[in-house]
Amino acid sequence: MPARVLLLGAGAVGARAARQLAEADDVEEVLVADPDAKRRAAVVASTGEQATDAGAHGADVTGTVDAVLLTSPNGTHLAHARRHLAEGRPVVSCADGIDDVKDLLDLGPEAEARGVPVVVGAGFSPGLTCVLARHAARRFEAVDEIHVARSGTGGPSCARAHHRALAGTSLDWRDGGWQRRRAGSGRELCWFPDPVGGQDCYRAELPDAMLLVPPFPGVDRVTARLSATRRDRITAHLPMLRQPHPEGLVGAARVEVRGRQHGVQDVVVLGVLDRPAVASGAVAALALRWALAGRVPVGAHGLAAVEDTVGFLAELAHVGIKAAAFDGTAT
Amino acid sequence: MVLLRRALAALGIAGLIAAVLRLRGTGGTPPQQGGWRELSGPELQ
Repeated sequence: MPARVLLLGAGAVGARAARQLAEADDVEEVLVADPDAKRRAAVVASTGEQATDAGAHGADVTGTVDAVLLTSPNGTHLAHARRHLAEGRPVVSCADGIDDVKDLLDLGPEAEARGVPVVVGAGFSPGLTCVLARHAARRFEAVDEIHVARSGTGGPSCARAHHRALAGTSLDWRDGGWQRRRAGSGRELCWFPDPVGGQDCYRAELPDAMLLVPPFPGVDRVTARLSATRRDRITAHLPMLRQPHPEGLVGAARVEVRGRQHGVQDVVVLGVLDRPAVASGAVAALALRWALAGRVPVGAHGLAAVEDTVGFLAELAHVGIKAAAFDGTAT
Repeated sequence: MVLLRRALAALGIAGLIAAVLRLRGTGGTPPQQGGWRELSGPELQ
C-alpha cells in the first residue's frame, strides 16, 4: 500500500529527496514542511501533484503520515525524531553533526522496543559512504580499518557544517577507543573519482566513526576526513566571510576498507562522484522507502546496518548515483 | 644590530626546522597505475 511521508526541510537535499519520493511507486504523497514558506512552496511546485504543503513543522498532518524524513539543518532533528518515534513511525535523518548523530543513536533502545527503524546520517557522507563500507566489507572475513574521505558540499547548511567541522575536534576510533584530535590536522592526499581527483584531506568534526564502529565489531581504526583548501583551513575559526552558494558543485566521497581474507590482508577502495545534495536526496529517499518496506533493521543506526548493499547500490545506480571501485597500486 | 642578528638567527632556525620536517614528512605515494571504474556486473549481484 503506497505510503504518505512527511519531509521536514525543503533545502537543497529536501528538494531532491521530495522529487525522488514523488516518483516512487510505493509513495502516495509527500508532505513538505519547512519554516520558510517561500522555499516550501517552491519545492511543492517543482515536485508535482504528489507533493503537498504541510506548513512550517507539519504539526497538522502528523497523525496521517507513515514515515518521516528529516532534511532540515543540524540541531533540529532530535525533537522531531523523538515525537514521531513515540508514535511508532520510521524516521530517517540526514543529520551529519556529531551531537545530532549521538542524540539520534541514543534513541536506539526506544526504537527497538517500538520495533521501528531510526536511520541516522542518511546522506552522501555519512550515508552512502556507510553503504559502501558495508559493501566493501563483504570481501573480508574480518575488517581492520575503515577510512572515509569526502570532498564538496551540498546546500548552504552543508557548507556551514563543512566550515564548522574544520574548526572543531575530530572523533576517530583507534585500537578500541575514541581518539579526539584537532580538526584541520592530519593532512592526507586522497584520490577521488575523476574529475575530482587528488585532494588534500584533513581531520574534521565528522560523525562517520560513530556510525561505522557499531556495525563492525573488532575494527581497529575508523577515521573520517574532509577535503579543504588552505583558505578553508585559515578561515575555519572565523565566521563565514560570505554567504554560501545555493548549492555546491560536483563532490566525491571515498571509502577505504582494510581487512583480512584467508589470513591475507587486502584493501578495497570504493567511491562515488556526484553533486552532494543530489546524492544525499536520493540516498535519503531510498533509505526512507526501505525503512517503510522493512528492509532496514529496527533500532537506531546508520546505513552500514543495511545487509542488502547490492540491492541498495543497484537502486541508486538506477537513479544515476553510481558507485565506483579503485583498482590500482601505489608502486 | 643585535635585533637584526636575532631576527636572522630566528629565520635560519625556522628554515632549518621546516627543511627537516619537509624532508622527513611522508605524504604517501600517489597511485601510479590503475584508476576508477564503475561498479557493475558481479559486484552488484
